[in-house]
Amino acid sequence: MDVNTSSVATDDAIGKALKSHLNAPAWQWLSSQVGGLADNPTPGVIARVFTSLPRQLKSGDTPTAISLGEPYEGPGGLSLVVTEWSVVKLARVWLLTRIPKLDEAAYVRLIEQLFKYGEMEELVALYAALPVYHYPEAWRERCKEGIRSNIGSVRHTVIVNNPYPARFLDEESWNQMVLKAFFTDEDIAGITGLRQRNNLRLAQSLTDYAYERHAAQREINPMLWILVGPFIGERAFDLMSQLAIESRQPLERQAIAYAFAHSDYDPAQRYLKEHEVPASFSESRGTPWEAWEQ
Amino acid sequence: MCSYHEQDRASMGERIALDLELVKGFRFFDPHIHMVSRTTDDYQAMADAGIVGLIEPAFWVGQPRTGIDTFRDYYSSLIGWERFRSSQFGIRHFCTIGLNSREANNEALAEQVMELLPFYIYKEGVVGIGEIGFDDQTAAEEKYYRLQLELAKEAGLPVQVHTPHRDKTRGTSRSMDIALEHGLDPKMVIIDHNTEETVKEVLDRGFWAAFTIYPFTKMGNERMVQLVKEYGPERIMVNSAADWGISDPLAVPKTAALMVKSGISRETIDLVCYGNAVTAFAQSGQLDEGMLAKEIQIDQAQKFEGNTVLRGGQQPRRDAGSIIIS
Repeated sequence: MDVNTSSVATDDAIGKALKSHLNAPAWQWLSSQVGGLADNPTPGVIARVFTSLPRQLKSGDTPTAISLGEPYEGPGGLSLVVTEWSVVKLARVWLLTRIPKLDEAAYVRLIEQLFKYGEMEELVALYAALPVYHYPEAWRERCKEGIRSNIGSVRHTVIVNNPYPARFLDEESWNQMVLKAFFTDEDIAGITGLRQRNNLRLAQSLTDYAYERHAAQREINPMLWILVGPFIGERAFDLMSQLAIESRQPLERQAIAYAFAHSDYDPAQRYLKEHEVPASFSESRGTPWEAWEQ
Repeated sequence: MCSYHEQDRASMGERIALDLELVKGFRFFDPHIHMVSRTTDDYQAMADAGIVGLIEPAFWVGQPRTGIDTFRDYYSSLIGWERFRSSQFGIRHFCTIGLNSREANNEALAEQVMELLPFYIYKEGVVGIGEIGFDDQTAAEEKYYRLQLELAKEAGLPVQVHTPHRDKTRGTSRSMDIALEHGLDPKMVIIDHNTEETVKEVLDRGFWAAFTIYPFTKMGNERMVQLVKEYGPERIMVNSAADWGISDPLAVPKTAALMVKSGISRETIDLVCYGNAVTAFAQSGQLDEGMLAKEIQIDQAQKFEGNTVLRGGQQPRRDAGSIIIS
């Protein structure tokens, strides 16, 4: 085990973060395994290291949540968004970024093999790495499969703080993902590309969903109205103007006021005037849709 | 699985109403239960009764598998979906992976399963090879039992050995003979489904003796109480082996409650209903007391079918006594 060689190959932002969170023997094991990947990228070796990471990196009793912003840009120009990752997740994704670019068929087969035999935590890491695999376009179906997962943490890692879907899903799949995110009570504002990919069909589906929730006397996520906002029509307006008064959630009333204020649908503008909704209601500071305007 | 008639009631002895107050504050570990066959109601009841962890051995799911893909998906569900489902109820889920004896008799398929096993046995939370052993005691069963013992030895994992219903005593002796022949340390082998007839030899030879409390076909817990009185707690553990048959996912806490009523010490109960199983399977390096002592960290991102499963530390509960469903 040549520590000097491996430390050269592992001295990047993620490597540094891992080094600071691991004890010396664990770091030495990890850096030498990852450093050695380039020379010996066989499926057997990769699968063994990837699978056995938690056994080697036992980081004590305190679970660590690591946030690094965007420490790594993948070959397709997308970045990892590292927010509150465990050490093992970060180490696994780091390992995945170090798998050399084999020819496409071999590379895809290798990664898909890891998915196929993945346990829960392995799947979380595998999906978190979607933005940074080689051959970025090859993972569309895999991405959709992750969105269909019934395991919350797996689904979450595809949907939230993950730039892959916004860049690579077609409109139909994107809309499915956003709907699924509402159904599963995900952090909607944490979806990357929400505003850029917003569209009329999605707004219509969300409006239908809002009617359904309303009929069942269930709460509606205020973020839904932010997405519907740019496409308000008669049907959406009917329910929104009703909920602008009746909703028991102050945040929902505020979201509707915000949506109306930023809409060019005449009845929405008239509504604000007639009901003398204070302008402060349409401000976004401190709301989940604060980042929407940026 | 079993068949029974109403008249069996008569042989079931005196009825004692379930009172979990008797075991309030106890922690239980069920080292053999097939959750894929159980419902969410079971998970809730188990958590309420104090079960903090369980082991799900790979077994025969009732319908024979006809292809390797269904084996793979089954093993994947043990380390994936079922583990997640369990975590939603605050119960730590571990598993043992293996080719069960019944399906070892389909040799063409068994060969393929053997090739699959190394992909699973090193995974996080896999605490042994199991459940393997004899059912009909055929040559094919013996072949794959031996091959899997070798695999366990190579991986340094404990073995969970199923013993046959028919010709049990001989089958149990033979299972131990073969394990020793392959050089396994008896302390790495858990012999399951013991009875009064098998326990002495199992303990004398240094193996762990597991008892399955399962109505009608296996042990009853009154017999279990007598056994513990006779043999003490050393290397003895209780499990439910609850599955798709008429079985009881609360067998471990119920047996503990009966032990309390029968004057067995708390220390002994803790060992046979929790500690011994943990010690035996901790030899895998994948499970330890510290892990079980920690409450499952509920990642707020973990949602289940659209529900935030834990709201303020509580999973949503349906009211089974109400005709209103909302």
